[in-house]
Amino acid sequence: MKVYECCGVESVTKKVYCSTCRQEIKNEREVSDKGTVYSFTVIHIAPEEFAHLAPYTVALVQLRDSTAKLTVRIQESVQIGDLVQLEEIKNGTYIYQKVRTA
Amino acid sequence: MTVYVHSVSMTKFGNNENASLKDLMLTASREALDEARDLKIDAVFVGNYMGGSLANQEILGAIVANDLGLGPIPTAKLEGACASGGIALRQGILGILSGEYESVLVVGVEKMKHAPTATVTQFINSAMDQTTNERYAGLTFPGFFGVVANRYFHETGANKSHLAKLALKNRENALQNPLAQFQKPATLEEIMNARMITDPLGLFDCSPITDGAAAVVLSRKPSDIKIAASAQASGPTMMQDAIDLLSLPAIRISGQQAYEKAGVGPEDIDVVEIHDCFSMTEMLAIEELGFFPKLEGWLAIEQGKTRVNGEKPVNTSGGLLSRGHPIGATGVAQFYQLVLQLRGNAPNQLEKRPRLALAQNLGGTGSYSVVHILERV
Ligand SMILES: [Zn+2]
Repeated sequence: MKVYECCGVESVTKKVYCSTCRQEIKNEREVSDKGTVYSFTVIHIAPEEFAHLAPYTVALVQLRDSTAKLTVRIQESVQIGDLVQLEEIKNGTYIYQKVRTA
Repeated sequence: MTVYVHSVSMTKFGNNENASLKDLMLTASREALDEARDLKIDAVFVGNYMGGSLANQEILGAIVANDLGLGPIPTAKLEGACASGGIALRQGILGILSGEYESVLVVGVEKMKHAPTATVTQFINSAMDQTTNERYAGLTFPGFFGVVANRYFHETGANKSHLAKLALKNRENALQNPLAQFQKPATLEEIMNARMITDPLGLFDCSPITDGAAAVVLSRKPSDIKIAASAQASGPTMMQDAIDLLSLPAIRISGQQAYEKAGVGPEDIDVVEIHDCFSMTEMLAIEELGFFPKLEGWLAIEQGKTRVNGEKPVNTSGGLLSRGHPIGATGVAQFYQLVLQLRGNAPNQLEKRPRLALAQNLGGTGSYSVVHILERV
């Protein structure tokens, strides 16, 4: 998992310029794809393209070695604090699985 | 220079089956123009989000100018997701402040009820960054506020019942508003047990799909209500980039700027219309606007402080949750309710006629926020 950093802010999204120093964001590093569930929701009413998956869980994961967070889809039901890890990246989706309950 | 409000109008919100987008827009515009007949309109600003995609109709500004005989004046449509109406108002105000126009018509409109829910949900999702992993994960617009709500519960003593109490307050307010979409009473139990949309948000926690329009005529010629402040700010376009998930910085910043411009503080505001696209959004907004301390909005709800005759009445119209949310019209409809409050003839009119009123209109998952302060002079 790659994170991008400038002026102390880390993000999994690569933006062009830093909003603090206005310079091009150049620092990147590899971090673990493991993390904990920061929060989540179970989506029952989905847009057309995801209707066949509903209900499904979307979680915001706090990455273990970074201040960055990552939005993922997860198969199991989860609670805040559960330990999770990457299962696969499929069609641009980070699909995560639960490793351990909080 | 000062900008004044001369007239406001609003169609019935809800299912306007027999009215087209154009019909709704012209009905609201005509009513506002009729009330301000002595003014010559120099420009038109339309707030609209998905006229093109959902109702297959653009060139809204030119239609208003043509069909209402306003002549060859300049017009524009403004888009900022659910803040489209507030942004149109702000552009009208700035157009007058620049000296270019003396009087402008601002109209907000949306036509949504004719489309299936999954289609509307799909189009609403275009208010999130569609090129990112968040879209592919299947995050929805309501889903964002579901994630926020679960974290809010985790960090505070709040639970689903606090969101339900907030939704119930807005429903009770809508019962007195003849133009509101929902005029059927609801109980706390019914709200708590309603169909889940996105955990923990149920049906009553989410604003409905609505048809409707609202319009305002603004001028530099004096009236009894002036625009004390207009402010706008941007915020993150993705959930994973929020520095603090329980903060909507665009609301905080636009609020602070508006207070500064008007020379007032949150304690001076008598009546408020907030962008409650979800019950959770109103909870965060009452904190970000400085009405209640951070992470304590739920206590204010528990104590009834935002009810009609509470210390800080919020959404006396019924809010987006129960007045309805025709996306591009919402920001303009907030003006409608507040102007009626200042004039003393609103649904749920406050016992003590208010002097200062605040409208906050949000777009995207906190990507846009517009705050206006209106003052009775
Ligand atoms: Zn920087």
